[in-house]
Amino acid sequence: MTSIDVQDLTKEFGARRAVDRLTFRVLPGRVTGFLGPNGAGKSTTMRLALGLDRPTSGTATIGGRPYATLTDPLRRVGALLDAGAAHGSRTGRDHLRALAASNRIPVCRVDEMLEETGLTTVARRRVKTYSLGMRQRLGIAAALLGDPEVVLLDEPSNGLDPEGIIWIRGLLRRLAAQGRTVFVSSHLMTETASFADHLVVLGRGRLLADTPVRDFIHARVQPRVRIRTSDTDALEKALAAHGHDAVEHADGRWSVEHAHVEDIGRLLSAAGVPILELVAEEGTLEQAYLDLTASEAEFTTSTQEV
Amino acid sequence: MSFAPALRSEWMKIRTVRSLVGSLCAVVLATVVFSALAALDPGGSDFDPLFTVFFGVVFGQIAAIAFGTTAVAAEFRGGALRLSLSAVPRRGHWFAAKATAVGLPAFAVGLVTGFASLSVGRAVLGSKADGPGWTEWIRGAVGCGVYLALMALFAAGLTALLRSGVAALGILIPFLLIVSFVVGNVSGGVADFLPDKAGQVALHRAWDGSLGPWTGLAVTALWAAAALLAGAWRLCRRDA
Repeated sequence: MTSIDVQDLTKEFGARRAVDRLTFRVLPGRVTGFLGPNGAGKSTTMRLALGLDRPTSGTATIGGRPYATLTDPLRRVGALLDAGAAHGSRTGRDHLRALAASNRIPVCRVDEMLEETGLTTVARRRVKTYSLGMRQRLGIAAALLGDPEVVLLDEPSNGLDPEGIIWIRGLLRRLAAQGRTVFVSSHLMTETASFADHLVVLGRGRLLADTPVRDFIHARVQPRVRIRTSDTDALEKALAAHGHDAVEHADGRWSVEHAHVEDIGRLLSAAGVPILELVAEEGTLEQAYLDLTASEAEFTTSTQEV
Repeated sequence: MSFAPALRSEWMKIRTVRSLVGSLCAVVLATVVFSALAALDPGGSDFDPLFTVFFGVVFGQIAAIAFGTTAVAAEFRGGALRLSLSAVPRRGHWFAAKATAVGLPAFAVGLVTGFASLSVGRAVLGSKADGPGWTEWIRGAVGCGVYLALMALFAAGLTALLRSGVAALGILIPFLLIVSFVVGNVSGGVADFLPDKAGQVALHRAWDGSLGPWTGLAVTALWAAAALLAGAWRLCRRDA
């Protein structure tokens, strides 16, 4: 089985530490989402894994070997890094053919991948006439050209239309179901949660989370209850007696964090508090992710000030 | 490991971009046309029938340099180099394939250019072409091919070193058009060893510097090799 192993990986650009002692594994058979705000070091990590950048310290290996030592690497690992990598004056098909030739991949794979990515009709047009979404599809076709066991995609849904986004979701799920190692970066949490099984979250080059998506949601998305009442004193008293903190909003509604509507409803009814409205609210996944990355930002700022 | 797939890929990359094919055509066209023009009105006390026939190389080499530069410069735009190196991660290996894919077609086109200039130039010169023997004419035509290939490689190496086609052309074009014309006429000394002056000795019937036709081309080859090695060194050392 082929996994991506990142061990104590650090990359400095001058004084800036883009990747900071990162350790994680990307395992086959599932889609691993690689999340982090812009500039968190996702692309740098991917370049390090592909041997394009040299780490300051630490290692990144694919199937236990550094990428640069692989023979015909496109047959083992496929990557999409920049959608602009194809020369504008070349046709999409020629771009893929040149790439295939370098790794002795038969030309029939080129046409298969053009078909798979929906580019067959524009294959003989020059790349400069392509839209961003079409270039992105061409980049994905290039990544899958060698039928690789390991797929690394940097922001693959950039520039794709809604139909394209649904297509890529299906594609990623399919690749993982075939037992491949699929590693996909994004800065959008909800989008990533729609296709990923596992999450690796990065903030300022550091590992913030390495967890299954379900656990992430369970641990970080906190339930919240919203209440409207005609007797605020009784409400406050009843909630305080059970150790709940209620916050009053400008519109007269109250909200209780980290609470389930079943518990709050029961205790308020037992206390005889008149209820006008009782609503269960789930904090969004996006919010949980923002909280995680924001706390990292604060942490970094405060340590720098010390 | 196997060099052939990398070379095949790099050659396909060159073949499939129109401007690169166009600049190779321009090498032939510019050289032959300017050689023919020079042969129309030969003269002066230091008339050299050989150099008159190959005079267009002075212009054709600009196209050869443009070819070498653009072929390499495309890799430094839009992350193309990352894709190339992810396909062929051994960088020295990859760069050798790139240089071969630039050098071989440039040499082939250079030879065509040489023999085309030779036949057109001699036809235009007519009786004035008498003098040089066949060995000299052939030496000039082959030297023309070698020279153009070496200038394309020199430009390719410089582009890899500077990681920019604009920077490489910004140095080479003024150098060839201005510095070499001004300094080059002061024959003897260091000027003889400039990459273009040294190589162009092979296109002359008579020379008075310290370099002969083949030693001159060897000096140009050293310049090209130095540029390629410097480019390869930078490529291997830097993050892609």
